[in-house]
Amino acid sequence: MIKSAALGLALAALVSASAPMAASGKKQTLGYVVTKWDTAIYESRFAEECPEGLVTGNDELWWRGMSRADKDKFTNKGLAQPVDRKNYAMYRGPGGKDVCWNPEIVKDPPLRIVKGKTAYGFNLDGDDNGNGTAKSCKHEKFTSPEGVKGVDNQMYRILGCHYGWRRNGVLDNFDDEERRNSGRGVVLIEVTGVDDPQNSAAVEVRFYKAIDPFNLDAAGKILPYGSYRVDMNGGKPRYAVPIKGKIENGVLTTEATDFSVPFYGNSTYAEVRLRDAKFNLDLKLADGHAKGLLGGYYDFDKWWEYMMKIEFLVATGDWSCPALYEASKRLADGYPDKDGNCTAISSAFKVEAIPAYIIHQNQTADAR
Amino acid sequence: MKLRGLILGLCAALTLAGCEREPATTGGPAVIRRLTEAQYRTAIADIFGSQIVVASHFDPILRTDGLLAVGAGRTAITGSGFERYHALARSIATQVVAPENREVLLECAPANAATADDACAKTILKRVGRLLYRRPLSSEEIDGSAAIARDATATRGDFHAGLAYALQSMMESPDFLFIVENPEGDTLDAFSRATRLSFLLWNATPDDVLLTAAEKGDLDQKSGLTKQVDRMIASPRFKDGVRAFFSDMLSLDDVANMQKDTVLYPAFTLVAATDSREQVLRTLTDLLVTKNGDYREIFTTRSTFISTALGLVYRLPVTNPGGWSKIDFAADDPRAGIQTQLSFAGLHSHPGKSSPTLRGKAIRELLMCQKVPDPPGTVSFDQFNDPNSPNRTARQRLAAHATDSACAGCHKLTDPIGLAMETFDGAGQLRETENGERIDTTGELNGKPYANAADLGRLLHDDPAATSCVVNRAYSYAVGRTIVSGEKALIDALEKAFAADKYRFPALIRRIALSDAFLRVSAAPPTTPGREAKL
Repeated sequence: MIKSAALGLALAALVSASAPMAASGKKQTLGYVVTKWDTAIYESRFAEECPEGLVTGNDELWWRGMSRADKDKFTNKGLAQPVDRKNYAMYRGPGGKDVCWNPEIVKDPPLRIVKGKTAYGFNLDGDDNGNGTAKSCKHEKFTSPEGVKGVDNQMYRILGCHYGWRRNGVLDNFDDEERRNSGRGVVLIEVTGVDDPQNSAAVEVRFYKAIDPFNLDAAGKILPYGSYRVDMNGGKPRYAVPIKGKIENGVLTTEATDFSVPFYGNSTYAEVRLRDAKFNLDLKLADGHAKGLLGGYYDFDKWWEYMMKIEFLVATGDWSCPALYEASKRLADGYPDKDGNCTAISSAFKVEAIPAYIIHQNQTADAR
Repeated sequence: MKLRGLILGLCAALTLAGCEREPATTGGPAVIRRLTEAQYRTAIADIFGSQIVVASHFDPILRTDGLLAVGAGRTAITGSGFERYHALARSIATQVVAPENREVLLECAPANAATADDACAKTILKRVGRLLYRRPLSSEEIDGSAAIARDATATRGDFHAGLAYALQSMMESPDFLFIVENPEGDTLDAFSRATRLSFLLWNATPDDVLLTAAEKGDLDQKSGLTKQVDRMIASPRFKDGVRAFFSDMLSLDDVANMQKDTVLYPAFTLVAATDSREQVLRTLTDLLVTKNGDYREIFTTRSTFISTALGLVYRLPVTNPGGWSKIDFAADDPRAGIQTQLSFAGLHSHPGKSSPTLRGKAIRELLMCQKVPDPPGTVSFDQFNDPNSPNRTARQRLAAHATDSACAGCHKLTDPIGLAMETFDGAGQLRETENGERIDTTGELNGKPYANAADLGRLLHDDPAATSCVVNRAYSYAVGRTIVSGEKALIDALEKAFAADKYRFPALIRRIALSDAFLRVSAAPPTTPGREAKL
């Protein structure tokens, strides 16, 4: 970062800007815009991670489930085109019902899940063994690539063998590109109370949704040091839950906190509602860039709401709603209800960000 | 106090500085200037409305003696240039008579739309012609235009189509495309006066009020002239005039050609380049017109405005994304003065790196009106451009380059100024190091030390060459020609008056507009340059 780039700016009343590294008295504020947001899928030896192979997609299950007469009907002029095929496959429930909106009306073969032992993520329930706690159901734990035991990431367990979510799959890659090109779902990260970007004992972190699109260069790359206005609601910024944290040796870490992060991807707005979420962000990369991991218990209903909205990609991502639903219900590991069924899924997301100015406009005094 | 104010007001009306009488001047030749592109577009918008699309580009004007305004008096229209004027006039005339515009823009309609209506055509052509030609049309001219409309109507069987031909012919006429000044003895006639005033103060064709004042002879009287000058300076359109002057003085037309290596400067875009021109003009009009501030503060001001695109280049927060945001830099910030903005620091740099030499040359030539010779054709830049040079900073590379005695002389004029600005890279972005080495911005200007670009701004603020320069440029711009030797005493007096006015730019323009010299012409024929003064 260029330390003097944002020094000594006087801004208009009722407008404040979180600068990439602005000095405001002794405390500084760091501003970032998220440039990459991907489901944290650990990928090394596929045969160890997914020994049963990739999941069986909806199209394949549709084909398998059809009578010979139906197969003739759909193929007597050649195999149906992909779009038509996707629609036929989606409505393969009894009476032509949509199996994504009604995932329990058919019983698909069990989902092929990750059997590997390594995953990105955090130990969210504080237990290393996976026996379950007051806030978690019994589940199998992972070890992080760095060797930290007790990692919770059941989202990886259920999504990790899907073509659509793996590195060369389309879903997360397409999301990043779509956000960049559309300007929708721009997420901001603000770190306040920074004494020193290398070491600060007590800082606060907030996620915001921006109302401005990304600032791109001529090649379509997101430029650092863009200015983004915070999305407001009733004079207060949306999201913006204060999250306590600290910076040690240039790495930000936060305390477990319940909060939501705005999300847009696959032509769909959603809200990543997390409980006991932890965040770490390496702030000391070149040119002020930052990279880290966000993890927490993702509210099941919120997540499935998003999955239903993106059912149009079921063939592209190659998944089966019924199988995924059954597995995710079964493997959900957070916040058991009164019947002992967990209502959230431990998850982790890889986050990359670049310096940005966060513009607070017409904010009421008690907004922060 | 009232009596003193009255005396001061009287002095201001009659003299240039204090109560000393305005020095006698010879005046220069009346000139014929080609309308600039901005003036053409403004004229069409003023006369027909901003909904008329002026879709063309114009032949460039060669900058002469530091100003396009002077070059406009030494230019012709090429064959291809006239073809564009012809096509443009056709396009504008067609739009004016189009059904969606004619009810608003034309004051009468023919009794029969398929046949000629001389009375209606003459009414329209008389009014429009007066605004286009910046003077009333003679009866012969009106009859001639009406005849074009009549003949074309007969051919086309459409009154409005015929009228369009007449309007087109007016917009192709030298009377419109050139600002023709008509001497009347040793001064300008009333309409030439109105035209000079209008282009100086608003960079626009005279409005109806000013033409009416000219017709009534008001501009021949000091009181009438003063009334019009004060009306026009008080108008919001005065800012347009100030913008036009500084666009010319600072060579801001060159911004359109500013290119940067987008690998090195990814935040630099064509939008940023265009906005950089607007940034400096907003900075100047805010300081000089809105705040009526001291001209010298253009070198030291810490207030400016940035757009979203400029915020990315400067890496500054834009509090009003999509619009313009005001920025006030802190007192210890190196960003001070228009010379540190992209339209200067970036424009006078190479596409891939800064240039202390180009920046120093630009400051001397554009802001101090000093001539720096061009480099000899045989000069070698090998040492300066050597990518494997052990010299990491521009200062070190220039020091090596300046060992060539053929180069050293000019570099002494330019480099000390430009090196102060080395903390701004080729795209005007703030930096502290070059190739990993901390940049040294210290130096001396005219024996006075400076620490950095902001310090250099303070030296420029106090340099009499800077205020003398703007006075010279403003007067030359006002009369549209090079200042002649017979005006030297006047320039001296204007410089003193500028100081007495605490370097208020509107006051300077008012004094020029109200001076006898502004309207005086010598006996030399139009377009013949007079003896140029060595100023």
